[in-house]
Amino acid sequence: MHAALEAEGIVVQFGGLVAVNDITLSLDEGEIFGLIGPNGAGKTTLFNALTGYAPMRRGKVSLFGEDITQLPAFVRARLGIGRTFQIERPFEELTVLENVLIPAFLHRARRSDAERVAWDALEQAGIADRAHQPSADLNLARRRRLELAKALSLKPKVLFLDELMAGLNPPALAEMIGFVRTLTKSGLAVLMVEHIMKAVVELCDHVMVLASGERIAEGSPEQVTNDPKVIEAYLGDSDEPGDR
Amino acid sequence: MRSGIFLAGLFIAALFYPLIFPNLLSIAIYFLLLAGWATSWDILGGWAGQVSLGHAAFVGVGSYALAILAGRYGIAPWWGALAGMALSAALAWVWGLVTFRLRGPYFTLSTIAIAEILRLVAIEEAWLTQGAEGIFIFSLKSPFGFDLFDRQVEYYTALLYLAAVVGLVAWLARGKLGYQMRAVREDENSSQAAGIDPTRIKLIAFMLSGALTALGGAIYGVYLSYLEPHDIFFLPLSVQIALTAIIGGRGTPFGPLAGAFLLVVAAEVFRNAFAEANLLIYGVLIVLVVIFLPRGLIGSWQHRAVRRRYARSARG
Amino acid sequence: METAVALLQNISGGILIGGVYALVGTGLSLIFGVMRVINFAHGEFLAVGMYLALVGHAAFGLEPYLAMLLVAPLGFFVAFSIERLVLSRLVDSPEQSTLLATLGLALILSNALLLLFGAEPKTMYVSYATATVNLGRVTLSIPLLLAGFVATMIILALYLFLTKTEPGRAVRATAENRLGAELVGINTLAVHSVVFGLGSLIAMAAGFVLMPLLFAIPTVGAGFTLKAFVVTVLGGMGSISGAIGGGLVLGLAEVLGASYLSTGYRDAYGLIAFLAVLLLRPEGLFGRTIKRV
Repeated sequence: MHAALEAEGIVVQFGGLVAVNDITLSLDEGEIFGLIGPNGAGKTTLFNALTGYAPMRRGKVSLFGEDITQLPAFVRARLGIGRTFQIERPFEELTVLENVLIPAFLHRARRSDAERVAWDALEQAGIADRAHQPSADLNLARRRRLELAKALSLKPKVLFLDELMAGLNPPALAEMIGFVRTLTKSGLAVLMVEHIMKAVVELCDHVMVLASGERIAEGSPEQVTNDPKVIEAYLGDSDEPGDR
Repeated sequence: MRSGIFLAGLFIAALFYPLIFPNLLSIAIYFLLLAGWATSWDILGGWAGQVSLGHAAFVGVGSYALAILAGRYGIAPWWGALAGMALSAALAWVWGLVTFRLRGPYFTLSTIAIAEILRLVAIEEAWLTQGAEGIFIFSLKSPFGFDLFDRQVEYYTALLYLAAVVGLVAWLARGKLGYQMRAVREDENSSQAAGIDPTRIKLIAFMLSGALTALGGAIYGVYLSYLEPHDIFFLPLSVQIALTAIIGGRGTPFGPLAGAFLLVVAAEVFRNAFAEANLLIYGVLIVLVVIFLPRGLIGSWQHRAVRRRYARSARG
Repeated sequence: METAVALLQNISGGILIGGVYALVGTGLSLIFGVMRVINFAHGEFLAVGMYLALVGHAAFGLEPYLAMLLVAPLGFFVAFSIERLVLSRLVDSPEQSTLLATLGLALILSNALLLLFGAEPKTMYVSYATATVNLGRVTLSIPLLLAGFVATMIILALYLFLTKTEPGRAVRATAENRLGAELVGINTLAVHSVVFGLGSLIAMAAGFVLMPLLFAIPTVGAGFTLKAFVVTVLGGMGSISGAIGGGLVLGLAEVLGASYLSTGYRDAYGLIAFLAVLLLRPEGLFGRTIKRV
């Protein structure tokens, strides 16, 4: 049995700068894996490398044992990698439903079938009540939900969430944590980059801490938050975990 | 739904037009072709978001294919038109493969350059096109005894062409390809996350757009019955096609049609005042549209309608 | 020997016409570098310049070069007002909107010329129209020589303006970083208007110097817009030194291509080079990165 997602020795370099250095991780079905670290640690870059948006210098990525290292982002999406973007990117000229319809069309060519998938995703992300609203008019919390719904209507096997919680107020944050928690029940594997420690502690089964592109700690949320190396890394950045 | 009924009514009314205005057929044919080209252009320019200023090249390929095949080999015009469409699709494929890595204005500039090069080819390669002296279309096979040079027959051919193009686009707009094109237009990265290959979608849009423009070009060729590279592969024609769609409303099924109607009527109204300077109207309108209605006439109206409808449903 | 002379003849002709192309491209590059506007109306301002020269010559019997000095303020004012009226409203719009707006301006200008002056070609007779000067066995036309010389002078003046004067520094600061320029108190919107006026005036000046060589028709602009794009893309968008190089390359490519390959494809050589550079070397032939001004 293969892990849902495996990454071995990932290296990403921009010019002479090593943004991600030799990162290895593995993620099982139904698991929530947290990726944390101070700003500029290379979390989003690693994310982009795994999802196919940043070129990798070295390393191997496999999805359920299948090597996807060389595949472009859209093929990875077709194989079951869903992702959200840190800066949400709704298709602004379209309504919420239409936005979610686009990934739903991937596996269903008929509009009525695709709409059914899209509505399910809207329900799961808690934004079905806004289905007919133009997406450009949504507030931040709803844009985040739309982002999640878009990723879900792809019917992914592994879901990448890039700072989905950032900037949410406490009630919205609690709701979003609730949505993400229910996702894994069907076996979906989730990899999340997150700054909000509350979400990390409540959701993640396993956490990896990055600083300057290197892995500095790994373990359960409790283990890593008490790790002196982690605290030092964050203090250096004056962006302490648990701050928020 | 309501717009569907409205358009069906319009189509039926258009069927009777030649009976009511038998002397105003030429301008009507021109309107139908311009609307068809603009709608075809919009598949690439509006739905997939790649603004081309080179579509006259497809008008040229469509009309010249028909003329050369009919004149030299006596091939029936419908096969000629089909050949022109196939050739245009192939041209669009190569063209897109080469230029789609250019973004925004740079893509637009490259389309002008390529269309200009094709115009020079049409002038210089006289063995194929008879060069600057032009090419006559004087005899064509008659389908079911219809004389294709009869203005009425041309009118109905052009009407069918426009109806087919608008119908196809309206149908595409509701389905998978229509949404995939919009996704690519809005954000290529985000569309990749939805499993879409942006290059492939843009190529499909370009090929469809080119082939349908060429079909209109073939009808235009018969309508003119004399082709000259300077008139057909003409930068102002490319500009006219693009601006018609943009003024009417990019990425809307009926915007280009509305744009063509407005512009042809305006050109008629001001014909005496402006004579050959009729592109002045295009210039003034596009400046006004860009400043005041960036989505075009129908686009802005639709944009507001979506919001109104949502506001109404949200209230209860 | 004969072929060597012919080659020399061609090269000198190519360099001189290339100087005029460089001038046209410099104006476009200045506008792009500062305003990030892809100006489709650039060639039309050149056409306006041609007609201004015509009018100046017909009305006052002036040499085009003298007329140039007299009507320059008027030309600048026209372009300046157009920027105020149209482009300044689109500062924060997507690139495509300004592209379309300038395309509309191009149509308005060329059709206004058509309405005012009619479609038939107009020529201007100057006494030295066919005069030549011999340098060894190479014969050069005086109007072309003058055109190349004046083009060089104007580019030099622009360069001095940008590097040695206070307003020039404001222009460069705006090109470098508009927000930063705002922060140090530069009114960048005013800079935009002035730059559009200057860039367009440069195009008009190119129209003036070409007038003894070509005839004026209202549609002459579109071709020059295209040439200006070729020049700036060859040289790197927004780079003035690049535009000089690009202009010379285009002038030489046209003249040599027309003489040694095929006359009919004269206009194609530049376009092919343009596509090749756009696709393979988007930073231009000379630049390492996309330089501004």
